[in-house]
Amino acid sequence: MKRTWFIFKVIFILLVVTLAMLPVILSSHPWPVASRDYLYENALSDTGAVNTVSSIYLGYRAMDTLGETLVLLVSITGTMGILINLGRESEEEEAVSFSLAPEKRATNAQRTHLLEVVASKLGPVVLLFGFYVMLYGHISPGGGFQGGVIVASAIVFLALGTETQSKLTNTTVLGRIETLSFLVLIIVATSGVFFERGFFGNPIKSGSSLSVNFIILLNIIIGLKVGTSIAVMCIAMMGGRHGH
Amino acid sequence: MVIERILIFLLALVGFSAIVGAKNIIKKVFGLNLLNSAIVLLYILEGSRIGEQAPILGEGVTNIVDPVPQALMLTAIVIGVCVTALALALAVRLYKATGSLEIDTISARLHSEQ
Repeated sequence: MKRTWFIFKVIFILLVVTLAMLPVILSSHPWPVASRDYLYENALSDTGAVNTVSSIYLGYRAMDTLGETLVLLVSITGTMGILINLGRESEEEEAVSFSLAPEKRATNAQRTHLLEVVASKLGPVVLLFGFYVMLYGHISPGGGFQGGVIVASAIVFLALGTETQSKLTNTTVLGRIETLSFLVLIIVATSGVFFERGFFGNPIKSGSSLSVNFIILLNIIIGLKVGTSIAVMCIAMMGGRHGH
Repeated sequence: MVIERILIFLLALVGFSAIVGAKNIIKKVFGLNLLNSAIVLLYILEGSRIGEQAPILGEGVTNIVDPVPQALMLTAIVIGVCVTALALALAVRLYKATGSLEIDTISARLHSEQ
């Protein structure tokens, strides 16, 4: 009886959502072309980036990107705050097949040879590809966030695959890189103020061939920030050691 | 154009039904992710209605899609990752505290402890 009542409630809620969303789905209102036309005419000369998406999120609305990285920072802080006392509270051993090498984590867990062989070989290649996506974000699909996530997955591969401790998979080092890149982001963002460009203004806008370098710099900083913070979070979730 | 939107709506409905109907916390988080992906796909689809080529201004690129929804969805994806990470961390914490991921069992065990 309780079960049927629950299913009835779920179906009722889904019907209400369907009725609320049907106008959105079936609307044939034409999409406005004004912003597309403006960006097609002016984006290249305004910011210097060939990739229009890059010129929006690092040029026209870079302030929002700062807020986005702040949200990421707060989320990482919350996740680490929730997870960091977990290893000390529970001492029991867990058997999971996807896990870090024994000397890298607090509790004992199984590992498979397949994981070690594949992940350690794949890690450096993925790391190189991540930096490629990050550095060429202004002329091809990609950018700081996308490249940063690929770099994070490469660091996770390296942490899973290699037995030895390395600087690249040490959460303390990664956390320091994250904080440093956020500090550099703030400094770079304020640098436009001294050149009369405003907050997040491009300080080297006058030289038309050089102005894209500001976007490349922001892409590198955001990529390092996103990559290291997501890597720290993944290593912490896999039971990596932290706090030393 | 309508068939894509109906498929995206079905994807969103699957995600919403997982959030409302599933008893497992991990399945609820997956439902949240599905809903997020459906919204992202809807925005990308709507923005691509006015053009054909990717918004990268190379040689001979004329009829580009609207890049504004793509830049907006970049934010949505990052926020989705943040929400997923926090929800999974809370799920790990609940599992350590009660030994279960089913919401009925968690609530029964929490009530019996009081």
